[in-house]
Amino acid sequence: MSNPETERALLERKTRRAFQVLVLQRGRNPGVKGWEMKRYLGKDYKKVLEVLSDDLKPLGLEVFQVPGAEGTDDSTRFLLRFREAPTMSEAETAGFRIDDLAVLAASIALINSKQGRISRKELETFLRSKFPRWRIDYSIDRYTKRGYLDKDDKDMMRIGWRTRAEVDERSLMTMILAQGTKTTPEAK
Amino acid sequence: MAGREAGRDSDKKLEDILRLIELCRNIESSSVSPFEVDIREKLLLLKRHIPDWELIDVMLKDSEAMQRLVAIVKLQDAWIKHRASALFIDPLLLELKIQLISREELADCFAKCWHPVAQIDQLTAKGLEKAFVYWRDLVPLSERFRDQFGNYGAQTGLIQLEELESLSIFSKEEFESRLNTLHKELTDRSGGVEMDYREFISGQTPEETALRAYLAAFLVTEGRATLRVDPLTEQIFISTVQGTPGPETKSVAIAVR
Repeated sequence: MSNPETERALLERKTRRAFQVLVLQRGRNPGVKGWEMKRYLGKDYKKVLEVLSDDLKPLGLEVFQVPGAEGTDDSTRFLLRFREAPTMSEAETAGFRIDDLAVLAASIALINSKQGRISRKELETFLRSKFPRWRIDYSIDRYTKRGYLDKDDKDMMRIGWRTRAEVDERSLMTMILAQGTKTTPEAK
Repeated sequence: MAGREAGRDSDKKLEDILRLIELCRNIESSSVSPFEVDIREKLLLLKRHIPDWELIDVMLKDSEAMQRLVAIVKLQDAWIKHRASALFIDPLLLELKIQLISREELADCFAKCWHPVAQIDQLTAKGLEKAFVYWRDLVPLSERFRDQFGNYGAQTGLIQLEELESLSIFSKEEFESRLNTLHKELTDRSGGVEMDYREFISGQTPEETALRAYLAAFLVTEGRATLRVDPLTEQIFISTVQGTPGPETKSVAIAVR
């Protein structure tokens, strides 16, 4: 016989467990797959994650889900991420230079506009009109390694899993299009 | 005449298949629209040619073309899905926009849409224990592949006279007498002028050659013989040394085959 208090205690315990599981990196990539969550928290893991996401609101965090390649619940990846976007200076203190972020923004936008795939050469040629060559090579390699971009066996660049998890791509495209057309000496 | 005609026709059909494979490959490795390939037309082409194929190599090419067409259909599917999503924007317009706005504005757009993942990257007690067990059970590198490769991986080294004596290959007296015999042979064979080193050390068996080379090295080290390497032909000459050797000495490594 379960009473409301026992159920509440159980839910609290599961929420704590879910937070611990999500916050500690266990593999190469952050986040936990749906099937793992089911193993840790039971069948009702989605409900537990919803509660956790609400609990994390005051801390500025949320539980976010990235659909897996198979599109099933088991392959979906759950992770903790910032609810609000960081400020530019916060991004810089995290080790991202303005130029690096600009290369990434331009790459994501261009790949998306080309139906999600573009040859590395084509991407480099496009970026070269705006950034120095050494920075392009360095940034593309760095972001591919970190999962923001992905490269297939035919050297075609795609959007990486981390971009899907961290970046609101639709807003990014809209914001780029909405920017003013004022030029700066640097952009020339 | 008819045979030649048939052969030419067959070549033309094979060329069609190869051209189709190349076209699909180009589309796959570029951002060109996959709808550039008319799937229906290409399938009909393959269907028309298939009864004519007799060689297995050509049939394999035909199936490769079919596989490439399947990949193109998959790309077309992804293309439609992407185009139907809200992420589709005319690439030309976007490229122009990116060219016009500054790097700061681009970075700012990104930062505003960015929600970094929060995680703690640390070593847990469990991880530490796992690492310890792994390290404890790790077989040393020198022993790890011994079963498969034996001791071939052991480094080459120098063998000293004392070691040869301890292995009963040489005794001190025997070594001295062999050295003297070889020196006498060198004096006799060279007749006071230099002779080809390889010819001199060559024995009946590879073991004997190695032994003679080993002894010859001692003769040179003791200053009883000298070596000269022709810089152009890289031929090595050996000769006896008359009188006391000069102060200038040089070490030379020679491979004995």
